[in-house]
Amino acid sequence: MSSVIEQIEQQIANLQTKTVQSNTGKIVTIADGVAKIDGLSEAMYNEMIEFPGGSIGIALNLEEDSVGVVILGESTHLKAGDEAKCTGQLLSVPVGKGLLGRVVNALGQPVDGKGPVESTESYPVEKIAPGIIERKSVDQPLATGIMAIDSMIPIGRGQRELIIGDRGTGKTTIAIDTIINQAKINDVGLASGDENFRPVYSVYVVIGQKNSNVARTLGVLEAADALKYTILVSAPAADAAADQYLAPYSGVAMAEWFMSNGMDALIVYDDLSKHAAAYRQMSLILKRPSGREAYPGDVFYLHSRLLERSARVNEDNGNGSITALPIIETLAGDLSAYIPTNVISITDGQIFLETDLFNQGIRPAVSVGLSVSRVGSAAQIKATKQVAGKIKLELAQFRELAAFAQFGSDLDAKTKAQLDRGARIVELFKQPAFNPLPIEEQVAVLWGIQNNYYDDIDASKIVAAANSIREFFTTRKEALLTSIRTKAKIDDELQAELKKAYDEWKPSFV
Amino acid sequence: MTRDKQIINYAKGLLKISLEDGEFSEERASAVLQYLEKNPPRKYASVLKEYLKLVQREVANSTAAVEHAGELSSSAIEAIKAKFSAHYGRKISVTTRQNDSLIAGLRVRVGCDVYDSSVAGSLHELEATLS
Repeated sequence: MSSVIEQIEQQIANLQTKTVQSNTGKIVTIADGVAKIDGLSEAMYNEMIEFPGGSIGIALNLEEDSVGVVILGESTHLKAGDEAKCTGQLLSVPVGKGLLGRVVNALGQPVDGKGPVESTESYPVEKIAPGIIERKSVDQPLATGIMAIDSMIPIGRGQRELIIGDRGTGKTTIAIDTIINQAKINDVGLASGDENFRPVYSVYVVIGQKNSNVARTLGVLEAADALKYTILVSAPAADAAADQYLAPYSGVAMAEWFMSNGMDALIVYDDLSKHAAAYRQMSLILKRPSGREAYPGDVFYLHSRLLERSARVNEDNGNGSITALPIIETLAGDLSAYIPTNVISITDGQIFLETDLFNQGIRPAVSVGLSVSRVGSAAQIKATKQVAGKIKLELAQFRELAAFAQFGSDLDAKTKAQLDRGARIVELFKQPAFNPLPIEEQVAVLWGIQNNYYDDIDASKIVAAANSIREFFTTRKEALLTSIRTKAKIDDELQAELKKAYDEWKPSFV
Repeated sequence: MTRDKQIINYAKGLLKISLEDGEFSEERASAVLQYLEKNPPRKYASVLKEYLKLVQREVANSTAAVEHAGELSSSAIEAIKAKFSAHYGRKISVTTRQNDSLIAGLRVRVGCDVYDSSVAGSLHELEATLS
């Protein structure tokens, strides 16, 4: 209470001498959340503009005698003739650990009913990405907990890996699984007291989705106890196009705080197709010239400047990182559409999810042929490399040969063996949603396939076998799993122990 | 409907003719209007509307519209005139209007710029700070 009184007294003391200068303008037209303002002669590009009633806008079109301003949030109370004022500030959002566990809107304001956000710092929403000198190559793994991805398309800290596929193919599930896995790893790592452990904090940006989807995602994260390491930035379909346009930039500003303070962050943009559509809507209302598919000319820059902000910075700059998982929704599997090709060219790889595989029950429906991680094995622990080095090739060969599977009896022994092995790998990679696996369990399971322990098990029983071996390891060979996790490579000693464990398990599996 | 660029350019030309030594001249503006009446251009009404808008902006840029609560002495008006003329590097004329809702102090508008040293403005700022 005393601080408020002091604040009022100070303000009263200032009353006698203070002259406030402001640059103003008047709304000429306002429609669809975009206002054209006469005046504002000193407005800067991307400057915050203040409207009556506390509404905020961003100056996006600076013309000779007017300014096009996109209004954030509610704009129905504004009318032609209302005064708008320059603030001299660029839009910024609150940042820091106080946001973890919270759901905020594109302006960083809480929307979860849990009271105000505890934050003392704010970062600008638009910021130039780290330059070449500040960066470092990606060499630390970021485990998704999804066996198919961690073994074949590994993701590193600071990488940008696109998740692309048609609607309903499990794109969001992969992103949520990754967030949950980070929370699990954080729990284990922080509990171990290891000084070198680097937790990964997640930012999940919702763009143009249904509120029911947001609520479901929130529920899943809460149920998995992952929300405490996660910030949810929500700009659902009900929000104005300007908020949907802004949300990813707000999210990455929050992630940048972790990176610039020497921590690691993961950001998921769900999804950038809707982000591009929101930007297209805004641009058309602002009367900017439209190009291919009516997108404005700078739609590539829209995404490139966003994704370039994901980086791994070197020790001189805090050694932090932002890993980005942008999501793109394709139509009928068309990867050559405008926005998908743009984002594919910006990112360091993509995980392509196929509708056919999904419908066949192969989930996650990762298409091995079309998925790639350009960072590659640099972001993989040695143990995974040792057990999964040849799996991608074997699976790709299997997919090519799969067409001949129906003529199984006419095939030569080698081809038939390849098909049998491929079918087992496919089964092994099936994984239920929201159930990420620790990397040591993945290594243990994959060691079995590498050493032919599943060859005499019927393909239809592979999932059960994998579950059985995981249960066997977690209940009876926990020390071995811990050794794999801490050593991160399979040496002769671990090799022998794994062999012994499998030999012990095999007779027990019926 | 988008504004016709030709009309805008034509109106800008008319404004340029209406200036004398960089300042708006009422005599010149009257002459321009007389000429337009005798020789109406294509889309005459639109040209006049655009010209009006430009003239209003030009006049606003060279006028300090002073709102004040209570009395304002002639010496204060002269001081305001001198101060803003020096600040903007052009001759600024002053118009005054009493506005008791300011409680005390002044509010001066020159074009887009507003200078507020009124109590009402400070209270408004205090309210914004506390909220």
